[in-house]
Amino acid sequence: MIEVQHFTKHYGDFIAVDDLSFTIGKGETFGFIGPNGAGKSTTIRFLATLLRPTSGEGHVAGFSVTSEPMAVRRVIGFMPDDFGVYDGMKVWEFLDFFAVAYEIPRSYRKKIIGEVLELLDLTHKRDDYVNGLSKGMKQRLCLAKTLVHDPPVLILDEPASGLDPRARLEMKALLNELRQMGKTILISSHILSELADFCTSIGIIERGKLLAAGSIREIQNQIRSHRVLKVRVLDESTDRAAELLRADSSIRMVEAYDHTLSAEFEGQDRDMARVLDRLIQSGITVQSFAEEPLSLEEVFMMITKGIVA
Amino acid sequence: MILRDNPVLTRELLVTLRSPRAFILQLLYICALGSLVYFYWPAGEGSAHQAKVAEARRLFDIFFLGQFFLVSLMAPTFAAGSITGEKERKTYELLLASPLRPGTILVGKLLSSLGYLVILIISSLPLMILCYLLGGLLLSEITRSYLVLILAAGTFGLLSIACSSYFRRTSSALVVSYLVILPLAVACVVLTRTDNVQVRDFVSIAVLPPWCLAAWSVLGILVNARLLRPPDVGSEGKDVIDEEEEMKYAIGVVIDRDLFPDKLFAPAKRTELMPDGTNPVLDKELRSEIFSQGTLMLRVVIQVSMLLSIPLMAVLLFLRSELSGYYVSYVLAFNLLVGPVFSSGSITQERERQTLSLLLTTLLKPGTIVLAKLLAALRVSTVLTFLLTEQMLLAYLLLPELRGRFWTLFLFLIIIAMTCLATSTIGLMCSALARRTSVAMVMTYLSLLLLFVLPMGLGWYLQGLNTVSKSRMAMLTVTSPFSAAMSVPMHTSRGDGWNIQNLPIDESVMIPITPKGFTPEIWLPVWAVFLLIYPPLCLVFFGITYLAFRWRWWRSGGLG
Repeated sequence: MIEVQHFTKHYGDFIAVDDLSFTIGKGETFGFIGPNGAGKSTTIRFLATLLRPTSGEGHVAGFSVTSEPMAVRRVIGFMPDDFGVYDGMKVWEFLDFFAVAYEIPRSYRKKIIGEVLELLDLTHKRDDYVNGLSKGMKQRLCLAKTLVHDPPVLILDEPASGLDPRARLEMKALLNELRQMGKTILISSHILSELADFCTSIGIIERGKLLAAGSIREIQNQIRSHRVLKVRVLDESTDRAAELLRADSSIRMVEAYDHTLSAEFEGQDRDMARVLDRLIQSGITVQSFAEEPLSLEEVFMMITKGIVA
Repeated sequence: MILRDNPVLTRELLVTLRSPRAFILQLLYICALGSLVYFYWPAGEGSAHQAKVAEARRLFDIFFLGQFFLVSLMAPTFAAGSITGEKERKTYELLLASPLRPGTILVGKLLSSLGYLVILIISSLPLMILCYLLGGLLLSEITRSYLVLILAAGTFGLLSIACSSYFRRTSSALVVSYLVILPLAVACVVLTRTDNVQVRDFVSIAVLPPWCLAAWSVLGILVNARLLRPPDVGSEGKDVIDEEEEMKYAIGVVIDRDLFPDKLFAPAKRTELMPDGTNPVLDKELRSEIFSQGTLMLRVVIQVSMLLSIPLMAVLLFLRSELSGYYVSYVLAFNLLVGPVFSSGSITQERERQTLSLLLTTLLKPGTIVLAKLLAALRVSTVLTFLLTEQMLLAYLLLPELRGRFWTLFLFLIIIAMTCLATSTIGLMCSALARRTSVAMVMTYLSLLLLFVLPMGLGWYLQGLNTVSKSRMAMLTVTSPFSAAMSVPMHTSRGDGWNIQNLPIDESVMIPITPKGFTPEIWLPVWAVFLLIYPPLCLVFFGITYLAFRWRWWRSGGLG
């Protein structure tokens, strides 16, 4: 649905983005992460047809970003990181303005505006002035404006930045709903924990270069030399379980504390099943057995610190 | 603290002087004045002393008027944005919450706004001394002139800062400052340049300084109080201007969006969805945006201009109707001041308010956006300007000597309409070329002065030289609507009708449009040439606006 090929952007001598390429499939939610100034917003503005590339090309829903900007604008809903609202306009007028700008006929507009307000829980604010809304409400309003022409692709630049925890959770729920509606979403955010359980794939960018892209699990496997097993057993069997784990060829190091064992595992999924089976066969009461996932923060820090190059 | 180590002053001066622009501007200014002296310097050793004295005086007059004009024009440009700029950049609260005293902030803002202007004035002093060497001028006269200039700079600067502290937007502060300063500047020039030496000296030395100092104190106290307990530090909710609420407490003119003629420039807000085929940008501009900062500025503008128009109407239309052209010039000057306000911020404000990327990613074509911006600005500025032509209509209906030449009224109205179109297109063009509203506004005023006022000044200057033919001088002023209005014949016997053949050719307002030696020779009055050249000129300005918007904003979001 979204394809970026060798996108490069220079501002004078400064290279904002250097030869960036990635693909996002239909219905995917792609999290775009990177430190400030990494080139996220530049890439997003390029895909939103607001930036001419120094070189490279991009396609959204099959349309070229550089040569068919109007067609691209028709299929995307773009929410910039920093945006303002028009003065002296009410919420419904603001949405009507964008609906007309997206050429939606009047007969559909009333219904669509009502639905979008409903979806974003803004119905009670319909007659409020937009410049009097709180930051969270403005973010919702901007998302409402983004959805008014029902675009299949959403490009959202930091949609949750500056929001309080409650508003962030609400925004996350909204985005989940949009994902379930089948929209392809490209989202950039600094709040990594939110992206982790929400995105189907991520791209990590630093200093204009894409360091890693793919599903979080793929990236985890790619950057981690070993996996970590967490085993919780009933108290009388802790020492025995530790001995059994140490004896296994796929396990390198075992630490035991309380009733929990943490083991460095260097095998395949099949080996992991075998370890569990051996524990159970040996009569150990296993309360829980799971691979400890690497958090997105850890992945991000490892990649951007140059631990994995 | 107030003068030494004033952080506000240091910061502002650093920002101003860091860019080479300030130095380039000063160089250009000195070059312009220098070339004036060079070309105007009396030639030959043998020229009579009397002639030298007269020329020195003329040069001195040009210098003084030019600099006074510069002060009246530039003081608001520098000062009117000094506090509104902080509000727009959202640094106002940071500044007020600092331990700085309001007096320190005020002095810092005043000195930084006027410092550069005062440097420009002082840098002309050596050239002025050259005029002194020609003889015929007293040193006290030069000192007196510079005193008037400095007093005017201080007063106009403080007035602009006071406006800046009362309004939220630079554009509003700038226009109201100009409207207040314009009559003061005219009065000041009339009183200090009168031929009566005694009056001149008395006003310059005994009247102006105490009055100016009193005005400085009052304005200083007002601004100080406003900075100490600011009623306008904005939270999110305070950005909303509820027009109905505002109207309850409005003094003087009240604007009712449902009534004629108010609905012409401020149509009522929509209660239902826009019909299909509406240009949403035009609708938004007229119904929500243009007066979104409240109608206070607009009401002040209407009140002041209407108030001024009454004595002008009495003198220029009813007592001496042959001077109608001067009343038209007043209407044109009003449009020159007010017109750019509605157009020069229309594109830059989208960027400053961060709504540009929202607008650019819609399906609206650049032509639709730019045309909507032009039509909205043109409509508001034209209707407001034409409110001042009611008095002309009244005079033409009541006075028999004007009734017989109704065609001149239509001519005046067309000249005014064309000027409205020119101010709006030039404002919009500058808005597409600049990145900030304040820059766009200054660019617009400078371009308009270059087209509208400078030719008149040059004409006046060349008149003194007696070396250029009258028709050539007339040709020089065709870009000025003031010159066009003055060229409409009001002094010929009444009842001569619309027949140019019957009018004697007055070379000072006629231009030959056929090449020399070509028969038949065709002469056109300045107003006709003005009306012929402006439509294509406006089209060119609009074309530049469209191209600039398309390539600078629409295809690159203002970044590329």
